[in-house]
Amino acid sequence: MLPFDFEYYRPQSLQEAVDLFQSLQRQGKQSMIFSGGTELLTLGRIDLAFTEAVIDIKDIPECNSLQVNEQRLLLGSALSLTKIEEANVFPLLTKISSGIADHTAREKITLGGNICARIFYREIVLPFLLADSQVLLSGPLGERIVSIHDVFQEELRVEPGEMLIQLAMESKYIRAPFYAFKRRQQWETGYPLITIAALKIDQRIRIAISGLCPFPFRSQEIEASINHKGRTIEARIDGALAVLPQPILADVEGSAEYRLFVLHNLLFDVLAALDQVQG
Amino acid sequence: MEVIGKSVIRKDALDKVTGRAKYTHDFQSIPMLSGKMVISPYGHAKIVSIDTTDAWEIPGVRAILAGEHFPLTGEAIRDRPPLAVDKVRYHGEAVALVVADTPRIAKKAADLIRIQYELLPVVNSPTQAFQKDATLVHEHLGEYKKEEDSTPVPNSNIANHIKIRKGNMDQGWAKSTTVVEASFSFSPSDHVAMEPRCARAEIKHDGNIIIMTSSQAPFMVKRLIADYFGEEIGKIVVHTPYVGGGYGGKAPVQLEILAYLASKAVGGKPVEILNTREEDLISSPCHIGLDATVRLGADQNGKFHAAEISYWWDGGAYSDKAIDVTRSGAADCTGPYQIEHVWCDSYCMYTNHTYASPYRGFSHSELSFVIERTIDMLAQKLNIDPLEIRDINAIRPGNRTPTRVLLNRSNVGNLPKCIERVKELIRWDKGAILEVNPRFVRVKGVSTSWKTSTIDTDAPSGAILTFNRDGSINLMSGVIEIGTGTKTILAQILAERLKIDLDKIHVKMEVDTQTTPEHWKTVASRGTFMAGRAVLKAADDVIKQLKNIAAIVLRAPVEDLEVADSRVFLRDEPYTGVPFTDICYGYKYPNGESIGGQIIGRGNYILRNLTHMDQETGAGKPGPEWSVAAYAVEVEFDRRDYTYQILQACSVVDLGKVLNEKTALGQVMGAMNMGLAFAGRETFFYDELGRVMNPQLRTYRPLRYGEHPKYLVGFVETPQLDGPYGARGVGELGLMGMPGALGNALSLAAGVNLNNLPLTPELIWKAKGGSQ
Repeated sequence: MLPFDFEYYRPQSLQEAVDLFQSLQRQGKQSMIFSGGTELLTLGRIDLAFTEAVIDIKDIPECNSLQVNEQRLLLGSALSLTKIEEANVFPLLTKISSGIADHTAREKITLGGNICARIFYREIVLPFLLADSQVLLSGPLGERIVSIHDVFQEELRVEPGEMLIQLAMESKYIRAPFYAFKRRQQWETGYPLITIAALKIDQRIRIAISGLCPFPFRSQEIEASINHKGRTIEARIDGALAVLPQPILADVEGSAEYRLFVLHNLLFDVLAALDQVQG
Repeated sequence: MEVIGKSVIRKDALDKVTGRAKYTHDFQSIPMLSGKMVISPYGHAKIVSIDTTDAWEIPGVRAILAGEHFPLTGEAIRDRPPLAVDKVRYHGEAVALVVADTPRIAKKAADLIRIQYELLPVVNSPTQAFQKDATLVHEHLGEYKKEEDSTPVPNSNIANHIKIRKGNMDQGWAKSTTVVEASFSFSPSDHVAMEPRCARAEIKHDGNIIIMTSSQAPFMVKRLIADYFGEEIGKIVVHTPYVGGGYGGKAPVQLEILAYLASKAVGGKPVEILNTREEDLISSPCHIGLDATVRLGADQNGKFHAAEISYWWDGGAYSDKAIDVTRSGAADCTGPYQIEHVWCDSYCMYTNHTYASPYRGFSHSELSFVIERTIDMLAQKLNIDPLEIRDINAIRPGNRTPTRVLLNRSNVGNLPKCIERVKELIRWDKGAILEVNPRFVRVKGVSTSWKTSTIDTDAPSGAILTFNRDGSINLMSGVIEIGTGTKTILAQILAERLKIDLDKIHVKMEVDTQTTPEHWKTVASRGTFMAGRAVLKAADDVIKQLKNIAAIVLRAPVEDLEVADSRVFLRDEPYTGVPFTDICYGYKYPNGESIGGQIIGRGNYILRNLTHMDQETGAGKPGPEWSVAAYAVEVEFDRRDYTYQILQACSVVDLGKVLNEKTALGQVMGAMNMGLAFAGRETFFYDELGRVMNPQLRTYRPLRYGEHPKYLVGFVETPQLDGPYGARGVGELGLMGMPGALGNALSLAAGVNLNNLPLTPELIWKAKGGSQ
């Protein structure tokens, strides 16, 4: 039960959505782009989320695209995680997706919703960071396509009124060798203690991580150390551990020291899986 | 036997699988106001001010209760204000209560109540509470009204102290060539019943108080509300429909009191209070935590001679049921072992945690972890096989319990036989350790447990049987159908005794305290035992009445008659008889004259010869019989990451007699599932302000489907002569040995003593030296 009322809009086109947002803004109404609604419902009922209006984008055709061909993979932001898993167009993405929440929740959780989530794990973004994806945004000033690295730093940073419409990547990433693992506090349910995603492309290993810090990230420094040929595996891992972003999380899932221990072993597994393969 | 032992389908099955079963919150036929609690965000704080001005501005608010001195409540010690006054003692404690037209209005208004707190030092563990200069949770402990056998120590945090003094410790230590000593600790956690607690109350114009509640103890609700508030007990009627799991958490009386006060504040209108999941986790009573130290001595053959045990139970902010848990933990403090010399101090400690309630096993799963880990340490030191040392010391007929009850073949189950069966099921002959490769190892750990139910010595149960015109029978018992299928088993017991078809028995699922005979509480695995005995007595009563009237109709002496297949007939001429339909509402002669009348069967049961425990030595008979069980858990352990998977879990329970195999299996496996979650993952994390850091199912995680291991369940049948058809309680045993067995397996696998719960990979990593 949500303790507040909100206006609900379900635009049928991108333009309608953008107009709506502007009109709500002019009326001074706090509004929220919404698709699956899981965060608004679960955080709203405990007073951690509030909105006066929602713009539900799930009927906008562009937000529901799912295209794959020789050149690229393109995914709409309103696709549910289970849809992405069922299509299974990018095995690494499928693997990361299937570790998020539970199947019932993933029927509702969307690609864009998870990337823009308040709950900071945002694990679904990891494969897109690894694949140097392009992001299609739409806002009052029109559409723009930018590199994910330009707009996703810890979280999606876009202009007011801008919506995440689609993500795209070159198809070569889909076929690249990868390794992914989600370590939880215990067993098979729960948030990540650390989720690691790695792939190898152009003879280099790329690594993105969620759960280590209060944001997901991909780090050039870590990758530089991990790919430092000629050094021992142990030295490459130690080098990576020395250049981690801060702060390291310490919470009910685990202490900071323990997370580093887990990360150490996961980096070892990444190297064991990818160091010797051609990619 | 025709019905007993069969896996008949539960009488509540169709309702539940079709989603039509109704729980307390599902009855929405009458307009109902909603109550919403405002809860404390801190573990320990002075309430400086409560401002309800803005909340009153919301249209639809009917009453706001806050800051008022209501009578103190609490079962053994009256230490708990229904709503906190002056100070809050735990995170989640109800401070104010809004009554409004709808749940939304109530929540809106509750959010607008502004409470100013001033933080107080927090008592964050029972060990800390026990220190001499500890902050006091209750400054006026000496002034509370209390039951005679509770022993709070004024100016301390000790709510109760139970002593066991058996044998002579000096002699015990003299015989012990090997001694181990260890300390243990784990935080409170929760029951996480599927149905959050819900209570509603209405006070009618004639003064009748109608309550509906998801409770394990509706008869207690009636008694306590009468007691606390001076209401006439006969005017209180408590209804309990299906209850969606309780595990002890719904035995305390809490929301019922708030609903009653709320209704009173709005002129008696019906008010409902439904816990959110978060409130259910931290505001309502939780699963008790424990700190403990054990010293255990044995001779070189592995025979135990002495045990010195200290338990500091984390009773939380209010003593309530924790007093009884503390007592029960003392009564069976050693686990199911013959130890001649025993010294135990069991303390119920006040802390700034959610107050505790019983948890499936009632202190026995908690103490079992402590004892079973100690025994493995001792076995290791003596280089004796862990199952063998348990077999050597297993409690047997002729032994005496810590409270000195002499055991015989009936009042204790056969533990050596359970151990034997576990050995076979887990393939103990293949060894406890199997190296998969240098990184992975498969390891088995074992444990045992026992339990007696230390319930009130005068706890009653009753049953009433009435007939329908077609000769079928209505069965009414005060047992709550809480998911265990007990009411189906009662029907089986009745069908067996009357030798009639099970379909001819209609079970009343809902309990209402006005027309249902009292069953003390649906706790302590006493449903089948006590209500079963009452049903048998009621069945005999019915048989007697049927025979009396049939004797007249058939012109035969009563002793020549038999009852079966819904008729009464001559033993030597079975075709001469009279069907129930002709006599259950009186017999009518062809000319219209009638004799007899409606047959109503009644039966009751009360446990016999139970006594209080002696204040100085603990001597006494706290429970009727001791059930026993043996367990094993097999894990695959990753020596690099300290992670593990539970491959198999095994329980062998002596349940006296299998009454319904499928429900018994369901009970044992469900309990094992809970036990493994408690052992491996479930706990509350507290910060320095005593706040629960994981008060949501996002971060508090019971076992989910798919995470469970393979379950191996075995039954041993050593009849308890008093039990219905020899049956013993079974609902709790599957759980109790899981923490010990898992702890033993992982300690062996990791090569380090793991004496805390939950057994997470991080805990093992820390025990192994962590980042050092």
